[in-house]
Amino acid sequence: MAETRETIFVVDDDPSVRDAISNLLESVGMRAKVFASTEAFWKAPRPDGPSCLVLDVRLPGASGLEFQEMLIKKKVSIPIIFVTAHGDVPMTSRAMKAGAIEFLMKPFQKDELLMAVRHGLDRDRIRREQEAELSALKVKIGQLSDREREVMDLVVTGLINKEIGAKLGLSEVTIKIYRSRVMQKMEAASLADLVRMADRLNPRA
Amino acid sequence: MLLAGGNADDNSSPLRRVMADRVSTGSVILKFLRRLGVSLLSVGLAFALTMLLQPLFPYPFLFLFFGAVMASAWFGGTAGGLLAVLLSTIIVDYFFVPPVHSFSISTTAEAYLFAFVACALAASWISSAKKKSEVALQEALDNLEVRVSERSAELFKTQTELAHLSQVLSMGELTASIAHEINQPLTAVVTHGHACLEWLSADPPNLDKTRQTIERIILDGTRAGATISRVRALFKKEAPVKDWLDVNEVVHELTIFLRDEAIRRGILVQTDLVPGLPKIKADRVQLQQVLLNLIMNGMDAMDDVANHRKELVISARVEDANLVVRVVDSGKGLDGQTAEKIFTPFFTTKPHGIGLGLSLSRSIVEAHEGRLWASPRASGGTSFQFTLPIHPRDSDG
Repeated sequence: MAETRETIFVVDDDPSVRDAISNLLESVGMRAKVFASTEAFWKAPRPDGPSCLVLDVRLPGASGLEFQEMLIKKKVSIPIIFVTAHGDVPMTSRAMKAGAIEFLMKPFQKDELLMAVRHGLDRDRIRREQEAELSALKVKIGQLSDREREVMDLVVTGLINKEIGAKLGLSEVTIKIYRSRVMQKMEAASLADLVRMADRLNPRA
Repeated sequence: MLLAGGNADDNSSPLRRVMADRVSTGSVILKFLRRLGVSLLSVGLAFALTMLLQPLFPYPFLFLFFGAVMASAWFGGTAGGLLAVLLSTIIVDYFFVPPVHSFSISTTAEAYLFAFVACALAASWISSAKKKSEVALQEALDNLEVRVSERSAELFKTQTELAHLSQVLSMGELTASIAHEINQPLTAVVTHGHACLEWLSADPPNLDKTRQTIERIILDGTRAGATISRVRALFKKEAPVKDWLDVNEVVHELTIFLRDEAIRRGILVQTDLVPGLPKIKADRVQLQQVLLNLIMNGMDAMDDVANHRKELVISARVEDANLVVRVVDSGKGLDGQTAEKIFTPFFTTKPHGIGLGLSLSRSIVEAHEGRLWASPRASGGTSFQFTLPIHPRDSDG
């Protein structure tokens, strides 16, 4: 897959800490972009590609936790790894409940940070893949004609061609033709594949 | 008129001064006239009433004049009283002492008139003396009130100082910020260290990056050191200011300050002090800090103890060449292991403690050439005691 490069964003108001984190990430071949505040991070353009955010809790202005809440409200999903010098249990549980990857105490060990970062990047990659898949599916389903769409909706409910024909007032042969066109346009390998796609497009609660 | 005021004021100022002089002489005259008036009025009233009542009595009825004299002495002072005595005597002599309607006195009446004058004088003296003591009493009362309010203000000041002190003692904020300041460069050092290892283990090792990283480590380490020096300087500023202190007084002040706290926690705080203890040379604020810390610790130790008489005794004694101050609680006591550690910095048994109180207290006492230690009590609870050397006063200005 032609994957864009991974980026790790680091937000810490202390220049030596953010330089050190960036240096460590760089030393293991990762790309880091550092910011002194959440505001600077928010305003900066974010390259396309898997990413995660290493965020200090204590920051001037809005705290890391508040920024996390803001991101959720704005529906920006980026995995967050919190780092703090003085975390407590309520703070940690608040961050984790809101979906943080990890909550690290300063000073942290290399593996703690790298594992969390990799975990974050993986999660973001999966999310991006799922999103890409979904938008591809949407394009494909948009190419179906209305009749083909009708046929597909009934096929995935488990009806056989004869039943579908009866429902739509068409012959079984016609349904068969529509059905093979649907399979072709949706690039479905099997009926099961088609059902899975339909599920993805219309997730049932 | 108001616009021309400036000039008019200048012109009239000598006139004003004259008027002020007149007012001051005038006030003296007025005061005299008032006394005279009081005497005249009261004697006149007594005379009129006596004339009215006399027909009812077969002998001269003179008692009302004593009343007039007393009233005059009360309101007009000694002078008013004497004036009333004079007026009464004249009237009594003329109207009531035989021969009536003449100033001459018959020999039989001489003693009678003399007795009247003596009684009137006595009444006048008693009345004015009573008035004087009343006034003095009122003045004393007023003075007392002023002194009480002054003392309250002083106490309030001490209380505020102590409140500040206890804030400093808890030091939560301070330690948190120091910890943060040191933790940041420390985090950078550790992280750079890891990065350094990575740069070195690359194939071939990236020596440029390694060197750069080590340079940053040196910078961050230096920064942490600078933070520590700053903290040290902060504490150095508060060099002890030693004065001759009465330990009894310091303990007394603290117990007043802590009374409400003790009542709130259901603790009986008692002092066992010997009057006339030798004064010691010490920093008042630091000594308060040590005592306050020991007392608060003692109170905390008794918090968890239920069904128990909660008692804290603070005593001060001279033992050998030292003053020994003890803070004894009836709390849960210390086990051997804990007793060894309590003076170690950052050791604490309290859920929200920082573990600096006792180590700080010990260093304060040691800076005063004394010792601070804890010992268990047979009856339960702990006794904290510290010594302070007694110096001869003339050896140190």
